[in-house]
Amino acid sequence: MKTLGQITVLFCGGLLLFFTSDFPDFGDANSPASLHLSPYFIENTLKDTAVPNVVTAILADYRGYDTMFETTVILTAGLACFLLLRIPKREVKSRYYLHEPTGVTLRFEGDKYPQKSDVFKRIDSNWVPYDLIINFTCRLLIHFIQIFALYVVAHGHYSPGGGFQGGVVLGASVILFAISGNLRAAIKRFGEKTAALFSAAGVFIYAGTGALCMMIGEHFLNYNFLSPLLGTDRIMARSHGIFIVEIGVAVTVMAVMIWIYYNLSSAGKQDEGL
Amino acid sequence: MTFFTTIFTFLPDLPAIIIITPLLASLLAAASGLFNRKTPFLIAAAALFISFISSIILIMQVVETGIVIEYRMAGWAAPMGIVYIIDHLSALILLVITSAAFLNFISNRKNIETEFRNKEGAFNSLYLLFTSGLIGMTATGDAFNLYVLMEIASLSGYALIGLGSNRSPLATLNYLFLGTIGATFYLLGVGYLYIATGSLNIADIASIIPTMMNSSIILFAFIICMAGLLIKMAIFPLHGWLPNAYSDCSNVSAGLIAPLTTKVTIYIMIRICLTLFSPEYTFNYLKISEFMVWLAIITIFFGSLSALAQKDYKRMLCYIIIAEVGYMVGGFFLGNRIGISGAILHIVNDAAMTLALFMAAGIFLWKTGEDSRDSLKGMFGKMPFTMAGFTLAALSVVGVPPTCGFFSKWYLISGGIAAGQYMFVAALIFSSLVNAVLFFRILEIAHFEPFKEHNHDHVYHHSHNTLLHHHQDHHDEHYETTKHNGVVKEAPLEMLIPFIAVSIMLVILGLYSGTIVANIIDFVIPAAII
Repeated sequence: MKTLGQITVLFCGGLLLFFTSDFPDFGDANSPASLHLSPYFIENTLKDTAVPNVVTAILADYRGYDTMFETTVILTAGLACFLLLRIPKREVKSRYYLHEPTGVTLRFEGDKYPQKSDVFKRIDSNWVPYDLIINFTCRLLIHFIQIFALYVVAHGHYSPGGGFQGGVVLGASVILFAISGNLRAAIKRFGEKTAALFSAAGVFIYAGTGALCMMIGEHFLNYNFLSPLLGTDRIMARSHGIFIVEIGVAVTVMAVMIWIYYNLSSAGKQDEGL
Repeated sequence: MTFFTTIFTFLPDLPAIIIITPLLASLLAAASGLFNRKTPFLIAAAALFISFISSIILIMQVVETGIVIEYRMAGWAAPMGIVYIIDHLSALILLVITSAAFLNFISNRKNIETEFRNKEGAFNSLYLLFTSGLIGMTATGDAFNLYVLMEIASLSGYALIGLGSNRSPLATLNYLFLGTIGATFYLLGVGYLYIATGSLNIADIASIIPTMMNSSIILFAFIICMAGLLIKMAIFPLHGWLPNAYSDCSNVSAGLIAPLTTKVTIYIMIRICLTLFSPEYTFNYLKISEFMVWLAIITIFFGSLSALAQKDYKRMLCYIIIAEVGYMVGGFFLGNRIGISGAILHIVNDAAMTLALFMAAGIFLWKTGEDSRDSLKGMFGKMPFTMAGFTLAALSVVGVPPTCGFFSKWYLISGGIAAGQYMFVAALIFSSLVNAVLFFRILEIAHFEPFKEHNHDHVYHHSHNTLLHHHQDHHDEHYETTKHNGVVKEAPLEMLIPFIAVSIMLVILGLYSGTIVANIIDFVIPAAII
């Protein structure tokens, strides 16, 4: 069976190599891909959409419909992780507490745990006492990471960036907080329900913008028809429309990253974890 | 008909509405599920109903005017932007998808509530996403957009079937590996097409391909696209993922995914062969028809023989699905008008039959709590209406007139004779005989054996690793039902009515199959094919 698999892989690889012989040269200006549609986009993007970054315009306007579903794919991943992994907290067998006056660690079993006690501090089962440097460094970094993320989202029109990249950086900042401290602290600041709501809300911003265009005007996602709402001309409305959907993408990507992290790192219990 | 024409003028956005409604509703369902357990179901049912109505209006519009509807997403014309194309074929498949998804959904309200407790929001949301993925795959006129929607349908499909019996996570993992390989192959094919033509729009690529018939990039694009689709539709050597994935999952998901996934994949294969690559390229230039028909013949024999070996009702259905895939692929690659008509007609009929059989499986499981064939003892006395519907579905799979299964098989057999593929004809007849054996065995058990005491009612709830903490009340309720042996005790009406509706549809589809072929399918097949 193993040899059969190897032979199949070699055969397919050989086929792939064989058929590349007919490819146009790398970066060939006369290849079909550079001649058929690309000239239109390069010449007309600024005229059509008032966005200097051609990639952003194609991503969020010409092929904005694809991007909406790519965002939905990310939401689907978050929902799938939730559906398959999430289990209720009551199945947790035991918890660890630190008795602060004496420094003794205690393991509690059953379902009665100290609530908001002055002397008992809840700790994770894999708790390590010395994390001052990590905590402090991460606290310093997280603000800058988040500001940079907002910059990446906002500057998608002019430079490499946009909703997906900015959203990932934003999500990473919260995950960094969870890693540097613990999962419970992160969930206290950015709860699971918030994550779930934001995940759906991001796609809703995107699809809702599209549906709004459809209701006011003619086509789904045709940002032209947003111009009366935004108070700009029709071309500029496209540019603003792209920005609105980029925000939607960023919200979804951020929230889904965090949501998936919560479920994966705690094996669905969200009781303790990294 | 003037009433409908007036609606059409007001609803030019219907091709978008049919897919956007489930998408928006899935977001609302996911969000509302965090606060309330009832609302997600209502939202989802309303959205599926709107989609269903839209697809009815669309198909009437297409049939009446005969004009292909083109819808420009974001307002950009074809090669630049993404367009949706509603022609006879896609309108027909859209109707199949939306009606199957809607009927299966409303009949399973109770199952969703018990099996996916506290996760209704996520489950209903994924159900809608899966449906909108299939709708988009069918309606799109853009090769890359098709891949994106395939991703949505696959990913939500993995999640939907991942939660079932204890074995379902492993089965889903296998499905995930193979499904991802299939989708990646398709994507690679689209990439090759883009390198060769510089376009992603299906109509645009189709207009370029005749100028470069001999290009090896196009050839490889065809090979790898088809390989990906064959994995996804589970034809014989690539079928390994299907039986476990579809039989271990929960009944709600099986009722949605089993009738639709393979059929939509076959639709895409037909779309790619006929619309993207021309029939000239597929049938005359490549000369793969013979090979594909043989593959289909092997699939039919394999599927039927394996179905014969199964003791479990749902696993048996899974192997029948594999055999039916052989019918459609073989019928299409016969390459003549009758064969292709039969294949397309069989997509519709087989979706209806599979839906009916899986809905019946859901009702049996609800009643007896087990999946084996022996659990159906005495069912005729207990559930006469369900069994009547089941008998219709069984007759249809066997291929007895006036049910729809007979008519598509008739077309396929005539096509096989016209093409001189007598082995394909033999395979079809053999498979029908095997189906007759399979289903009459079940009907016999259900008719003549006495009803068995099920003192382990709703065992299947225990075996599902879901959040069930209230099976006690169900248990009591069921204990009541099984105590009175011999008394008619049907399934609840909300399960029964959709099931009976689907069963009656099997006969209606059969009686009107001539109309469907004359008014819809004839327009699908290019005039070059005789």
